[in-house]
Amino acid sequence: MSNTEQPSPSNAAVGVSSIKPSTGEKVFAGFNYTFFILMSIITILPFVNLIAKSFSSEEAVISGRVGLLPIGFQWGTYQYVLQDNMFLNALKISVILTVVGTALSLLLTTITAYPLSKPRLRGRKGLLLMFIFTMLFSGGLIPTYLLMQNLGLVNTLPVLFLPAMVNVFNMLIIKNYFEGLPDALEESAKLDGAGNFRILLMIILPLSTPVLATIGLFFAVAFWNDYFASMIYITNPSLKPLQLYLKELFVSSTGDFLKDNVDAALNTTPQSIQASSILLATVPILLVYPFLQKYFVKGVLVGSVKG
Amino acid sequence: MNKKTSMLALALGVSLAVTGCSGGSTPANTPGNEGTNNTSAGSDNTDLKMIMQYSRFDPNTDYTAKYISEKTGFNVTYEMLPAENADEKLNLMVANRESFDLMKLNAAQFYNLATAGALEPLDELIETHGNHIKNAIKPESWGSATINDQIFALPETGAGVSIGEELVIRQDWMEELGLEMPTTTDELYDVLVAIRDAKNIVPLTGSNDSIYGDIAAAFGVLTEWKEVDGELKHRAELPEMKDFLEYMNKLYSEGLLDTEMPINTAAKAIEKFSSGRAGVYKLAWWNAGNTISALNDNNPDATVTPIPYLKNQDGVAQIGTLANTTWFIAIPKSSKNKDGAMKLLNAKLEPETFKGMAIGEEGVHHEVKDGKYFPILPKFNDDLNNASAFMTAVDEENYPTFWQARVRKDATLQSYYEQFQANAEGIIVVDPMSLAPPIEAVSKNTLKLNKLLDDNVLKFIAGSEPIANYDQFLAQWHAEGGKEMVEAANEWFASNQ
Repeated sequence: MSNTEQPSPSNAAVGVSSIKPSTGEKVFAGFNYTFFILMSIITILPFVNLIAKSFSSEEAVISGRVGLLPIGFQWGTYQYVLQDNMFLNALKISVILTVVGTALSLLLTTITAYPLSKPRLRGRKGLLLMFIFTMLFSGGLIPTYLLMQNLGLVNTLPVLFLPAMVNVFNMLIIKNYFEGLPDALEESAKLDGAGNFRILLMIILPLSTPVLATIGLFFAVAFWNDYFASMIYITNPSLKPLQLYLKELFVSSTGDFLKDNVDAALNTTPQSIQASSILLATVPILLVYPFLQKYFVKGVLVGSVKG
Repeated sequence: MNKKTSMLALALGVSLAVTGCSGGSTPANTPGNEGTNNTSAGSDNTDLKMIMQYSRFDPNTDYTAKYISEKTGFNVTYEMLPAENADEKLNLMVANRESFDLMKLNAAQFYNLATAGALEPLDELIETHGNHIKNAIKPESWGSATINDQIFALPETGAGVSIGEELVIRQDWMEELGLEMPTTTDELYDVLVAIRDAKNIVPLTGSNDSIYGDIAAAFGVLTEWKEVDGELKHRAELPEMKDFLEYMNKLYSEGLLDTEMPINTAAKAIEKFSSGRAGVYKLAWWNAGNTISALNDNNPDATVTPIPYLKNQDGVAQIGTLANTTWFIAIPKSSKNKDGAMKLLNAKLEPETFKGMAIGEEGVHHEVKDGKYFPILPKFNDDLNNASAFMTAVDEENYPTFWQARVRKDATLQSYYEQFQANAEGIIVVDPMSLAPPIEAVSKNTLKLNKLLDDNVLKFIAGSEPIANYDQFLAQWHAEGGKEMVEAANEWFASNQ
């Protein structure tokens, strides 16, 4: 900010050359602005097009006339989607999955990370290695499926979040954050008579909101966007989450699926309804970002340890 | 030293844990005998579980599901395969002996499971419980579901022989330019040139998932398999194929055929046709409603006519189609209620029950005019839109007539369906392999080889591969399983003459 031109009197007094940006800097800044504005436009355009399509008449969408503004304005597609039991049910499943999944994952990941961040934990290296081992090697899809089946989890809601409860990568991020917190804080709390749980709850967690918000967001977005687990484990149509619903909505409208299946071809979903379904499925998770923003504030540690 | 030993111990421990996990799953596979033991005990059991193909609705709350349980007394729970990777998912479920009593399978899935020994032979069950089944399914249809003289599924043949696609042309442009309706490929070429020059567009569009059709038929490439002098030949092997490719390549290089055709989806091609950026397109009647209304929304004066099927060099018009079995209804070996499953299949084919499933109640869902069934909207759509998904074999005599009520839901749809069928009347050539039983070398290779063929056909059309190289490609096609497949097909064909 300081290198932008400001007509303040002090600038003139100190001397022009040191404050005014050079031509090179100006060009660089100009290039930067152009580049990033273009990038944002490229990112936003598909959304605008999708919004326009969802509000356009199906005829205009089919003939490819809809660009950035709706043609043949209507909002019946939204009425249709919001009254569609399949969509509402999938939305309900996704919301439950995201809320319960994120809360439990955050809890379990944090209480796994905390002890592992303490050097005094005996066998810490070994435990960490075991965790990291699962990052590199997994049992593979079919053994995992067999396990879920033997646990009686196939075609149940918990199968969608229980196996993903502790994400080792996220756990390591939290652990590293905890390690970065000054030991002095914990020592002082100990002197005041706090136990391990109290220290975690009252001292560590309040200082860790940035990392918890970040990891929480990771979890929430991952749960919201996951279709793979449900594609593998779920065949009961009333347990399918929103992303799987969307995926199948599209796949079932494409050539390969419709080939030799006249009855399916007669029942394809209009493109304007597809567009409004995508929007209605994307907006809820976008709403999470502004609410989490305030936790991404740095520098809460400032002044907590003196000397 | 100590560290190393502890690491080794850890690695050992982890690997034991991993193998322990997979070892623990084996017991789940063994209780296979359990299923067969319980078969007789479950004869009064009316709870059944059916896996069906993907469709976008909840089958457990659907009107037809309620109707079926009301009429047959069976309480069926429905589950669906995913829309994508359905085969993998199915294999996974079958390998894990998930307990289903009925499965609605496509041809590849059926063959796969039947040869893997996962399906119950049905001959005895049909004999005991299948009086309605035997009336509904014609003797010749059973062949497609019979492997080594044992029936492994009920074949569901669908709506009968019909034609799906035909070239359509902008009638208003023809009148404007004073053009005659083309009847041969040469005349079609002239019409395309005239449209290109007058409108300054690329007149013919198409999509990569529907390459063959009217034009290919006019060169003699009618169906996937063709009988030539008492022998079956795959379309890849026909000398006519090269003539077809040369013609298409000419259209492509002269700016008469959409250069994006090799990458177009049907939706993209429809977009071009309905926005007036193309004037000739091979339209499927089930897309006619949308396409025509989009075109007219865009240009109210636009009119469209089907081009009658083109004549070949002998002056004869022909069009090919497939009359195969679409779905296979099987009972897996792991089912604990095989008798119940067969009783349900039989009850669903009881003539009155079946009619209700197909077109609902007269006066509520449909009405009869001149002996034809017409849907009553919106009730028909509300209740019966997904009825086809619940079919487990059809009354082959009557279903085509019932089914046409679905076409009469929309006037444009109906009009195109009827025009296409009228144009095709008397000139339909049915693929000789339509009624073939599953043949290993064919089932194994068909998908792969057709993909190989289509990919290369698109290259030849677009000129990225000169047609002089076709024989080289054909040799590759033969080497990758084509030879084996053609021989196996001919073996069946010869024994069946």
